[in-house]
Amino acid sequence: MELQELQTLWSQMSRELADQKKLTNDIIMKMTQEKYVNKFGKIAVYETIGAVICFAAALYVLFNFGKLEVWYLQLCGIFTLLFLIILPILTLRSLRRIKEINVVENSFVDTIVQFTKAKNQLLLLQRVGIYLSFLLMFTTLPVASKLLKNKDLFLETDIWYVYLPIMGIFLFFFTRWGYGCYKNITSSAESILSELE
Amino acid sequence: MSKEEAFTQLIKEHQGLIYKVSSLYTEQQQDQNDLYQEIVYQLWKSYDSFRGEAKMSTWMYRVALNTAIGQLKKKKRAPNTVSIDQGVVHIMDEIDADLDERIKALNAQIQQLSILDRGLILLLLEGKKYEEIAEIAGLSLTNVATRISRIKQKLKSKMTKN
Repeated sequence: MELQELQTLWSQMSRELADQKKLTNDIIMKMTQEKYVNKFGKIAVYETIGAVICFAAALYVLFNFGKLEVWYLQLCGIFTLLFLIILPILTLRSLRRIKEINVVENSFVDTIVQFTKAKNQLLLLQRVGIYLSFLLMFTTLPVASKLLKNKDLFLETDIWYVYLPIMGIFLFFFTRWGYGCYKNITSSAESILSELE
Repeated sequence: MSKEEAFTQLIKEHQGLIYKVSSLYTEQQQDQNDLYQEIVYQLWKSYDSFRGEAKMSTWMYRVALNTAIGQLKKKKRAPNTVSIDQGVVHIMDEIDADLDERIKALNAQIQQLSILDRGLILLLLEGKKYEEIAEIAGLSLTNVATRISRIKQKLKSKMTKN
């Protein structure tokens, strides 16, 4: 297909499209109502539900923090609290940055740059979240055990023989998968940004 | 004429523009439907704020292209939209099979370009002057000219290979 042919075909398509009568007033007005869930709207809903669960768990730990009498349990409790509060806030902020990109005022290039950077930041957060969640798995169990059953897991060695290997295997595959996804997406994002510079 | 009537009239007049942007920035039909609806939704949302400082088509191209960037994705996923009488996706159903095939081949060629280049070639094929392309893209005139020249070379070499 020559360039000239491309232009001709494009014009032919444009004429065909102009003649189409399928789009009715009713269909157009239905589209103006946000009845469908757009991509980021959907992610934002999941992330908000996740954040609410995290905050509820953080509140529970916070109000019962006094039950964590020993220093190592308190350390686990503090890490759990920080994870449950900070990470969801950062993720929601990052999603808001994407949602706030002004598609009306921005130029096309500005949108590409802002979107790519915001998406990159969100992915970085998700990656950090994946790694930190393994630490969380390690710290949550003793905290939960102490708060819910009043048992100090660090004094009960048996459970660690089961818990640690299972956690290790899960961690190995999960991080490999997470890192692979992140690397692919960010490298494509980097090439987009470098092309625009 | 009410606001709704004016808007639906506008969309009908420019339905081809929205269709072309959504088909160049998506691969699956369902994604195209999602993007088409999102563009119409964004146009409606910003319809009041359109003050006529820019040309109507410049405003529409800008919103459509900017919205397309937010919908870029890598892989297949489950449908997100509600069914709107299938009217959007099948807007081009009634054309002959040969033309349909050639349009698909044309889209496939353009989809191999980067996201910025896709937008620039779309505007060029739409018959936009470099000044208007520069305004929509947010690039200088020289930059637009250089990039378009490169895109033409890229497309030509791809076409020669095929």
